[in-house]
Amino acid sequence: MNTRSLRFQLFTWYAALLLGSFALVGVATYIALERSLTGALEQTQVRRARQIGHLLQEELRAGDEGFPGRVRKEIEASLAPSQNNRFIRITRGDGLELYRSGAPADHSFEPASLPTPQWPARADGTRPLVITEGRDLLLTGARVELANGTSYLVETGAPLTEVRVDLKKWVIFLGSVLPLLGAIALLGGFVLVNRALSPVDHITESAAHISSHNLSERLPVARTGDELERLSIALNRMIERLDAAFKHSRRFVADASHELRTPLTVLRGELEGLVAEPQMSADWRERLGSVLEEVDRLTGIVEGLFAISRLDAGEAAAEWAKFDLAQLAVSTADQMSLLAEDKQIRVTCAAAKGVWVEGDRARLKQVVVNLLDNAIKYTPAGGAITLTVRADDGRALLEVGDTGIGIPGEFLPRVFERFFRVDRARSRDEGGAGLGLSIVESICAAHQGRVEVHSVPGEGSLFRVALPLIAEPMNNQNKQMSYAY
Amino acid sequence: MRLLLVEDEKKVADFVARGLRAERFAVDVAQDGDTGWRMAASLDYDLIILDLMLPRLPGTELLQRVRRNGRSAAVLVLTARDATQDKVENFEAGADDYLTKPFAFAELLVRVKALLRRPLPARSHVLRVADLEIDRLTQQVRRAGRRVDLTAKEYALLEYLAAHSGRVLSRTMIVEHVWDESFEGLTNIVDVYVRHLREKVDEPYDRKLIRTVRGVGYCLTEETVL
Repeated sequence: MNTRSLRFQLFTWYAALLLGSFALVGVATYIALERSLTGALEQTQVRRARQIGHLLQEELRAGDEGFPGRVRKEIEASLAPSQNNRFIRITRGDGLELYRSGAPADHSFEPASLPTPQWPARADGTRPLVITEGRDLLLTGARVELANGTSYLVETGAPLTEVRVDLKKWVIFLGSVLPLLGAIALLGGFVLVNRALSPVDHITESAAHISSHNLSERLPVARTGDELERLSIALNRMIERLDAAFKHSRRFVADASHELRTPLTVLRGELEGLVAEPQMSADWRERLGSVLEEVDRLTGIVEGLFAISRLDAGEAAAEWAKFDLAQLAVSTADQMSLLAEDKQIRVTCAAAKGVWVEGDRARLKQVVVNLLDNAIKYTPAGGAITLTVRADDGRALLEVGDTGIGIPGEFLPRVFERFFRVDRARSRDEGGAGLGLSIVESICAAHQGRVEVHSVPGEGSLFRVALPLIAEPMNNQNKQMSYAY
Repeated sequence: MRLLLVEDEKKVADFVARGLRAERFAVDVAQDGDTGWRMAASLDYDLIILDLMLPRLPGTELLQRVRRNGRSAAVLVLTARDATQDKVENFEAGADDYLTKPFAFAELLVRVKALLRRPLPARSHVLRVADLEIDRLTQQVRRAGRRVDLTAKEYALLEYLAAHSGRVLSRTMIVEHVWDESFEGLTNIVDVYVRHLREKVDEPYDRKLIRTVRGVGYCLTEETVL
């Protein structure tokens, strides 16, 4: 997965933000719930403490100096602290403990060992206290003042167990609902990101398909009115401008070809006529012949340039056929063997059978011719040339290696340039215009292939042509079968 | 044989007409498409040599009119346009042959003769040039009565030269005939084969038959002039 893709980045940001806010919501609700539950419990406790305080006030006003039994009875009857695991303690101002509830039913705390009461500063104040002893207990106190100045402290305590249980339930709820919601939201986000970006993939694919050979094609434009529609339209306008530029250049090539060929035709025709004149002297004939050779060379350059221009402008090939590259290469090498023999150069062919490619046979044959011709030209007498054709990883590879003079490293990137020659004086003697390898490159490009060169000066060069490999055509196999019968 | 040459480039028309007249053809020249069409319509030509980029009436249009009117003249299209599409269009319009400028006059002549179905010299199965004998059926070559052993390509080259003996054939013509169009840029292959051919056919004998005409090509002849 491409971690730098827009799709990945959008989705990870979305997921991080979503999960982050879910976590925040979880923590916040937990805290709020805890506060509210504890607060409610505290209020209940304070209310009870005050009720007891009021009861105590009323009873004591009636004149009882000691601890009124009615208060104890009332507490036991209505609140039943022991059964409800509650704690109640009443202490007089001088520290005398008037009442203390019994041990709770669940034995979660020991009433006698609870810390000594701390008096709230204000009368009637509350004092929440969380002590930890087995289970936590929420302790509140209310201060009761009598007219005669004696004050009493009524303390009520309740375990926090229920609060804890409720909080735990909430955590379980969050823990089960949030991941589910998160998964749904993430899935939705993934679908949305994909839906938003899949037109981009579509546009990219279509744009990648457009080359100089099919500039008349356009990208599909979805009439959605969004940014992607604007992008497609802008790209289409760019392709239109490219198309116009290519058409212009094609027309230029056609016009230039006419303008250059006509004078060359006249030159050649008139000179040939002169050479054929019976009264022409041998010396004049030689000189005219020399001029004719230059006309030939000029014609060769013009033809080569037009061939390259037409290939680069994506002119349709005369015929597009499926054929065996190995068979083509071997037969071409055979046709050229005398050229090599003439220089005492040994040509070895190592061609695997049935390396099928699709294209213009005549032009691909020209690739073989030009590469072999090049190798023969730049290999000294006694050298060797190896021609290899093989299939490799979906590609048809054609290699021409020689034991020639090689190409210095700094020139390697330029050998396919038009008119480029490593050694100008030497190459001109060989009669080349420096277009052979450019033509090879253009033909390869027109076949969705490529050509590359490796070379060690003084040791030799290797030119490698890679073309898309195709499966051997079925009808060809049938033909072979019918031969068998 | 009456030929019509429709070509607006005066200089091209001049040397083509001159060369064809030297071959004893009657040649009329029209310098624009309109004149060309009126001449083609009024006279029964055996062959029309037609340029495509013509003023007033394009060559392709003229070609279509000639065919619509049922004229039987053979049409050789002569043009500086050699894009594949142009070729296909003109063959569809009824052209019989196609020659791209610049061309060697010898090639134009070979094609003109082929279109007119005028027998080439020495149509018999044995070609004779001086004491050289080429048997087209058995593909055997004899010089002064002695067998000369040739490879297939050497034989094809010699036969081509002999079939047009006395005529200078350009390297391009030889390459296209003996090899194929893929070898076009490789005219030195012709030189190498001619050298090998000379070693076998000419060197052992006093009388040399294969001549080099510098800048033009090769010629098989017993004459000493060329």
